[in-house]
Amino acid sequence: MMASSYNAKEEDGHHSGSSTHGGTGAAKNKKPDNTAFKQQRLPAWQPILTAGTVLPAFFVIGLMFIPIGIGLYVTSNNIKEYEIDYTGIEPNSPCYDCANNFTWNSTTSCVCTVNFTLVQPFESNVYMYYGLSNFYQNHRRYVKSRDDSQLNGVQSSLLNPSKECEPYRTNPETKQPIAPCGAIANSLFNDTLELYYNHPDGNTSKVNLVKKGIAWYTDKNVKFRNPGNEKDNLTERFKSTAKPVNWMKPVYELDPLDPENNGFINEDFIVWMRTAALPTFRKLYRIIQKKPDSTPTLPSGRYFLKITYNYPVRSFDGRKRMILSTISWMGGKNPFLGIAYITVGSICFFLGVVLLIIHHKYDTRTNSADIPN
Amino acid sequence: MQSLFKCAVAFTSFKVEYVFTDKTGTLTENNMEFIECCVDGNVYIPHAICNGQILSAASSIDMIDSSPGGYRREYEDLFFRALCLCHTVQVKEEETVDGIKRGIHQGRPTSFYISSSPDEVALVEGMKRLGYTYLRLKDNYMEILNKDDEIERFELLHVLNFDSVRRRMSVIVKSISGEYLMFCKGADSSIFPRVVSGKVEQVKTHVEQNAVEGLRTLCVAYRRLSESEYQEACHYLTEAKLALQDREQRLAQAYDVIERDFVLLGATAVEDRLQEKAADTIESLHKAGIKVWVLTGDKMETATATCYASKLFRRSTQILELTKKRTKEQSLHDVLFELSRTVLRQRSISGLSVDCLDFGLIIDGATLSAVLKPSQEVSGHGNYREIFLEICRNCSAVLCCRMAPLQKAQIVKLIKSSKEHPITLAVGDGANDVSMILEAHVGIGIMGKEGRQAARNSDYAIPKFKHLKKMLLVHGHYYYIRIAELVQYFFYKNVCFIFPQFLYQFFCGFSQQPLYDTAYLTLYNISFTSLPILLYSLVEQHVTIDTLKREPSLYRDIAKNSLLRWPVFLYWTCLGVFDAVIFFFGAYFLFDNTTFTSNGQLMTTNTQMMFGNWTFGTLIFTVLVFTVTLKLALDTRHWTWINHFVIWGSLLFYVIFSLLWGGIIWPFLNYQRMYYVFMQMLSSGPAWLSIILLITVSLLPDVIKKVLCRAICPTATERAQISQKLLPGSVAEVTPLSFRRSYKGRSTDSTLLHLGAAETLSLRSCSPLPQKLLAHLAEGGGSDLTSLSPYMLRLSGAGVAYYAPGPETPV
Repeated sequence: MMASSYNAKEEDGHHSGSSTHGGTGAAKNKKPDNTAFKQQRLPAWQPILTAGTVLPAFFVIGLMFIPIGIGLYVTSNNIKEYEIDYTGIEPNSPCYDCANNFTWNSTTSCVCTVNFTLVQPFESNVYMYYGLSNFYQNHRRYVKSRDDSQLNGVQSSLLNPSKECEPYRTNPETKQPIAPCGAIANSLFNDTLELYYNHPDGNTSKVNLVKKGIAWYTDKNVKFRNPGNEKDNLTERFKSTAKPVNWMKPVYELDPLDPENNGFINEDFIVWMRTAALPTFRKLYRIIQKKPDSTPTLPSGRYFLKITYNYPVRSFDGRKRMILSTISWMGGKNPFLGIAYITVGSICFFLGVVLLIIHHKYDTRTNSADIPN
Repeated sequence: MQSLFKCAVAFTSFKVEYVFTDKTGTLTENNMEFIECCVDGNVYIPHAICNGQILSAASSIDMIDSSPGGYRREYEDLFFRALCLCHTVQVKEEETVDGIKRGIHQGRPTSFYISSSPDEVALVEGMKRLGYTYLRLKDNYMEILNKDDEIERFELLHVLNFDSVRRRMSVIVKSISGEYLMFCKGADSSIFPRVVSGKVEQVKTHVEQNAVEGLRTLCVAYRRLSESEYQEACHYLTEAKLALQDREQRLAQAYDVIERDFVLLGATAVEDRLQEKAADTIESLHKAGIKVWVLTGDKMETATATCYASKLFRRSTQILELTKKRTKEQSLHDVLFELSRTVLRQRSISGLSVDCLDFGLIIDGATLSAVLKPSQEVSGHGNYREIFLEICRNCSAVLCCRMAPLQKAQIVKLIKSSKEHPITLAVGDGANDVSMILEAHVGIGIMGKEGRQAARNSDYAIPKFKHLKKMLLVHGHYYYIRIAELVQYFFYKNVCFIFPQFLYQFFCGFSQQPLYDTAYLTLYNISFTSLPILLYSLVEQHVTIDTLKREPSLYRDIAKNSLLRWPVFLYWTCLGVFDAVIFFFGAYFLFDNTTFTSNGQLMTTNTQMMFGNWTFGTLIFTVLVFTVTLKLALDTRHWTWINHFVIWGSLLFYVIFSLLWGGIIWPFLNYQRMYYVFMQMLSSGPAWLSIILLITVSLLPDVIKKVLCRAICPTATERAQISQKLLPGSVAEVTPLSFRRSYKGRSTDSTLLHLGAAETLSLRSCSPLPQKLLAHLAEGGGSDLTSLSPYMLRLSGAGVAYYAPGPETPV
């Protein structure tokens, strides 16, 4: 009896459900449903990664990546970039005195000028960066030492900054809350860089540096907000707060001439507040707009950079740089991406050839080996 | 607790190397049929063969073939009466069994026999067919209906119950005429020494012959007791039964005293049919490289015959015997050493091709206990155990007969604790297998006739032995590859996840600055990468079920835990580290000097982007999530719609989540570090290019490794995948509805034909002849396969063109 009921059931576990082979009702309830999922009978697509199927993919990748890589590489090479280190470590460098005589309490700023020559003219928009080395903006305690809600203009946070800001939360003497609080804000880069062009005829003219449009739009307009009533004076709105310890002037004097770029929404400040990923970094400082006529933005020739030297880096062996760079559709000068694309494309292409050989050599063998099965 | 642990073992390493199986009820149906009996050398065969429980309509007809014609009529009567009386069968007069009302046959109610032993039922029913019907036990009188339709009554005085030590049982009855009779039935080995007269030699040869055919034999003897002898026996029994101490022992002594001086009446042969596809299953297990051990309480000859029928032993198998018979002649020591020499010599000769000759070992319980006995005498003899293990290791099949239940567990324990620590599986159906089921790593219970003890104590319960094949070869295989992938993929994806974090510490002054945002840290393992692997470990089928069933040797591919060994684990880890290095340094070089900027003109016109540390982390994380998910996609062989949904869904979820997470100033957070980071990143062309590049590079080594391995040294599984692909009408593509049909088509297409396939074939074809063959095969097993070849010829002539007897076809 048992045997016959089994024959009817077939062996694949396709229990028809109605079969009664002496099982009690309880046992029947435990039976998994006869669904495709539970019986592992879902229809499926079963691709196999063989040399034959992968071959085209390799060739396609190779043929796509190599042109992209070449394009990237050429673009990157066309980008002009000029970099000056003005830290003032070497005794003969122009800023040596400023770097050495730095004191925190000095009221007058030290100014130094660095001369340089651009061999090639810079076309289109030129971007001016400052670069810092050995500056760990990504240190954990540094990164979290800020109060985003204070920066967003929340009044309560302005007067009572987050604990994360310690020890730059309140002024130790006046006990007033610091605005903006925290180590990031406290260490704001405050060198002033000015660029002058020596005309061939002997005149010097100041290059116009645009200081707006260097921060993320969303940061400038949403994430960073000045506290208080829009109509009030900014000084009034930051009343009863203290300036960060290392700052020379309070936050509402960052750009006294332009209220749209003052206080927390000062773009230099916003750029600084976006902490860099790596200890050597550069941050956008100014933009030199291209001229309406066809003359290059920065014609080749002699320039000098006038630096108001406020930012000490010698204590941590840091370096300061000024970078002038044009930009392309793929960003700044970085040959890495192009080289990587060319390399990977070539490897894929080469592997495609190898696989083609293997495919031809072994395909017959594997097929013949199948037959006994 | 223990079963929890066992479940864990069963799941994590389903690569079974040893299968221990019970014989009765597991390999066989445990559905006894009375085949023949031998009374004083004359053979009686009842015609109608019917099942043990249901009476055929043609019952109670005199079926004796060769009536002895008055010759020793007395013995015959005694023999049949003995079988009718000497049992513990109960009669169930009521017709409701299994809730089905059974009709009344031939004008009188049909009765059912119920007993703890199916053999007894078979015997009593056999007697019924031979004309002697046991009617009932009423008021201590046993009533039987003899051939002449007369009711005979015997007073039941004593029952000397069966036990596995004595291996016999007796009853003492008093006939109407006042005679005291003691009937005894039991195993030949326990009866013959106690017999004083009768045709011992003739019966003995007959019993041997039956045993060779795989029939279960019992000998029947009787003794006439005088009044005084009876009183004496009564006295012994009562005393023993009333004893307060050592009752069992004293009962055994009493039995021993009483059961002697028998007159041999004859022997019976009961057949226990092999379960369907038992042979196919065992053969498949063999091909899968699993060593099958049969542990049984039956006598050696019976068990050996079953083993041949079930293809545990083949004609080519060289049988090594380690039995009491042999150890009587030589010392155990010598036998063991001789066997191990044979085995080792063979191995050294054949070298690599071990398969060309396989050994089968037969050992009986007595010898086994001698082997396992911790020797107190000489230290040199203490390593019998080791020698025995060495022999066993080289045998593909081992038969242990005459085993006590505890010895079964002992054997399992012995193998389990041997130095390779193989994974063992025990399968059994009765209470006597429980100890072995509990001892083995994986215990499987068969829900048979002997109750549910085995099923209750098992890790898995199956209805038939043949299901073991699918369970091990298909589901075991699947579970194994799924678990292996699951475990290693988890390591891999977390190495990929955490190693960039580690590398970042070198660039952030070892300040433990997290590379990823907290939301990403939290959700990586929970949401972004969890479902694809979960689904993979639920539905992956790297080879179809049919292929796995058809080619048991694929199981060897996962032999010795091959997917969870150090090299494989190291490969995964190295791949993880490689990918992590690619992620991190790829992003590092792109961010070097923070040249990685964009004029942002792709999306917003007035933004010059300077990317900070959170963009750096987000870029790495994006590449990470995509790579890790696509890596699993590369490993997935079985793409159901759920796989598609889950894999692409996970990636989509990640993107949507990131957009949402960065798109809002979340009021409950005291930091807004992710605000617009993801969007700004996506608005930069180089970010897209680098994401594509890094994903490609990370996946490249694994693809190359897969392709090269497959092309240069494909495993059997991989070859099976290809050939499966080449077969027209691949099963995988069909819907469940058409599944059955296509399966059928494939089995006829298949060029490979074992016995199992032949059965399928013959069942499918409509001609009655192959079914007869099937019946023949099922019944006779290997015993009368000489008669098979004409059938085979005729079968192939009958229009089934694909039948080609392979080397494994039994002869």
